[in-house]
Amino acid sequence: MSAPAVVFEEVSKFYGEVLGVNLVTLNIPPGITSLVGPNGSGKTTLMNLMTGLIHPDHGRILMRGISPRDPEALMRITGYATQYDTAPRWATGFTFITTGLLLFGYGRAEAEEKAWKALERLGLTEAANRKVAAYSKGMRQRVRLAQAIAHDPELLVLDEPLNGLDPLVRAETIDLFRAWAAEGKHVILSSHVLQEVDLISDQVVLIANGMIMAEGKIRDVRDEIEEHPSQYFVHCQDASAVAALLFGEDHITEIKLNDDQMGMLVMTRDREAFARAIGRIALDGHRIDGVVPADENVDALYEYLIGGE
Amino acid sequence: MATSSFPGRASQAWTIAVVELRRAFFAKRALWVYGLALLPTLMFFGHGVAMKYRGDQLTRRGVTRAVLLDSVRDGEAIADVTLRLGKPAEDRSWVRSRRVRKDGENTGTTTHTIEPAMEARFVRLNIIRPTYSGEPIARIYEFEIYGPDGGENLARGRPVTGSPPFNPGEGPEKAVNGSVTGGEADRWCAFERPLFLQVDLGSARAVKRFVVKHASAGGEDEESDTREFNIQVSGDGRLFTTVESSSGAAFVEERTEYRTLTYFDGRRDARLLFIGGQLESSHIDRLLNLEEDRMIFAGVFQYFYLRLAIFFGCLGMFMYLFRGEMSNRTLHFWFLAPARRDVLLAGKYAAGLVAAAAIFGGGALLAFAAMIWPHDAVEIQAYWNAGGMAHAFWYTAAAVLGCVGYGSVFLALGLYIRNPIVPAAVLLAWEGINGILPHALQRLSVLYYLQSLCPVPAPMDGDTPMLVRMLAAPAAPASRPAAILGVLAISAAVLWIAARAVRRMQISYGSDT
Repeated sequence: MSAPAVVFEEVSKFYGEVLGVNLVTLNIPPGITSLVGPNGSGKTTLMNLMTGLIHPDHGRILMRGISPRDPEALMRITGYATQYDTAPRWATGFTFITTGLLLFGYGRAEAEEKAWKALERLGLTEAANRKVAAYSKGMRQRVRLAQAIAHDPELLVLDEPLNGLDPLVRAETIDLFRAWAAEGKHVILSSHVLQEVDLISDQVVLIANGMIMAEGKIRDVRDEIEEHPSQYFVHCQDASAVAALLFGEDHITEIKLNDDQMGMLVMTRDREAFARAIGRIALDGHRIDGVVPADENVDALYEYLIGGE
Repeated sequence: MATSSFPGRASQAWTIAVVELRRAFFAKRALWVYGLALLPTLMFFGHGVAMKYRGDQLTRRGVTRAVLLDSVRDGEAIADVTLRLGKPAEDRSWVRSRRVRKDGENTGTTTHTIEPAMEARFVRLNIIRPTYSGEPIARIYEFEIYGPDGGENLARGRPVTGSPPFNPGEGPEKAVNGSVTGGEADRWCAFERPLFLQVDLGSARAVKRFVVKHASAGGEDEESDTREFNIQVSGDGRLFTTVESSSGAAFVEERTEYRTLTYFDGRRDARLLFIGGQLESSHIDRLLNLEEDRMIFAGVFQYFYLRLAIFFGCLGMFMYLFRGEMSNRTLHFWFLAPARRDVLLAGKYAAGLVAAAAIFGGGALLAFAAMIWPHDAVEIQAYWNAGGMAHAFWYTAAAVLGCVGYGSVFLALGLYIRNPIVPAAVLLAWEGINGILPHALQRLSVLYYLQSLCPVPAPMDGDTPMLVRMLAAPAAPASRPAAILGVLAISAAVLWIAARAVRRMQISYGSDT
């Protein structure tokens, strides 16, 4: 084994009857990795699994060689900024972070010094002695980040870390991530907008409905999405004639005719070329009653992540 | 310090405990715990204040010599007592009166003789007030008419009319059938006014004596006897002459005079109850009786403090240590710390224990102090020399160990069960029936050991029902070291189970995917 990695082996997690994530297999090398997917796709579930807040129903997880069931070892090298927007009633920004650090076994002076450093990094010095409960949403986001990084972890798990940060802090935070990644650490963050992270990520993991849709270098993933064959269901009157015409197009990879001759399943590598071809066929006088995407997951994900531009 | 060593873990647990202490002491949902813990203190303090005040009050009104107090004998006349003991500190008197029927008058059978005898064919009994109780129903078992010779009952078997019967079969003829022994079916019983019986003797006869047998003659309550009636005679059945009016037995007022005199000898008060001027009973008690107060304390401590206050207090304080953070959505902070889950459990338990021990141990000590405080210094000193200090210590120790035991149980329950009511009820029942379980099972309850630690066995009146006695009594107390080890062993076992549950615990705040 070369660099220590974050490894998921066929991990599934159910919430009662509801599927959280399904048979996820991942191997994430150090660097900045973004989990990208729509809301509810399973990003937070993956992160909670990584940090042992929840346990998988099936499969195995190793975080740089440590099981999430061993928080004493894992959390020593891990920082997790959750999305849970709550803080203990008693805590000020400073006591909140200091208390966390005391649990690492630092002396009080050392813990306080590290807490100040983390607060300073996220621009919270002035607010340090106010109650976290009285912070604005953005400040609470920052204090969670500060807590996650205060003990200088090797493995940072950040759930939507860029939400609610103003541009300056955001740029600084991103620089921080880069610096960490350059030291061979893991920075795993999540986002529901691909653009937000595609410039800073070394690799991305696309998730939809609890399944990994694509994984790898950002360029590869982009190509993979674009080249992922899309399936459409075409309703038409003279199916065999339309099928013959479509077969002439080189982006069509497969056509399955329905038994009733009233439609067909078409698989294409280029959805725009396919749209143009359908237009031409319709103009030629063939009656096309409808074109329905048959493979909604990937298509929807693509629309969601890329199409918003 | 490396946290993977034992001292490192202990220091982590302590850090967690220090943070959690705030919640343990001041959780809003558990503030009522202080009320439970301080209730006995308030009770004993209130008793002490009341007795001291009463002592002062009695002293101001005059103190009687102790010997005189003891000289009072039952049956003495009030005048003799006041002559010897002087003016009492308190003197209350009242009269109880009630109306009773005059003694010695038989209301069941009344006999009425007229002088001279009269000629009559029809004889009529009119009922004006049918009963003493006020019930408007007339009951006559027999109406007998005799001539001057007195031998033969002229009415017997004669035709008779009267108010219609209340029940079928209880008509006027039953009043002239010559018998009273047939129970309620042997009477004339009517409700409809006018209430009367009229006997036709067939021809004009000389009549001189009438006998009326009322309800009690037939075995019914005296209150149902006829209270007011008259007897009339007639030759033609139209014109009647009243020959006798009777009001049955008379009522008299019975008055009883009660008087209590209270004397005080500076320490004991004597309450003397006189009925009708004679000493009926005397109660000579010490106002403040350390012996008695200690027994009461033992009872309050075992039946209220251990069984209820500490039980429910620990429920309130320990059940929510985890559950509360889950509902506040703050539990993940602890789960993300580089600490083993059992270290977290230990920290939280330590926090709850420190708070509960301070509140309930302190409450027990305070109550003990409040119990001792009003007594006089010499007596307290004597008690202290005779092991009072040890009593205070063992009560406090039992309270603290109660927190150790019940705390661990409720901490564990809180990890498994959301709603505390059912498990709390089951557990309370289990601890409650402890006394009647086989000995092996008794050892599986916290109360068994705690009772063994109490320095004074709880008092039990001789007339306590058997069931209560069985439920309340610890059947076979353990020795003190065994009791302490027992509580600790149960707690350790329960905490071990709890640690397994915490290790498996997952964050689920309800809405995340």
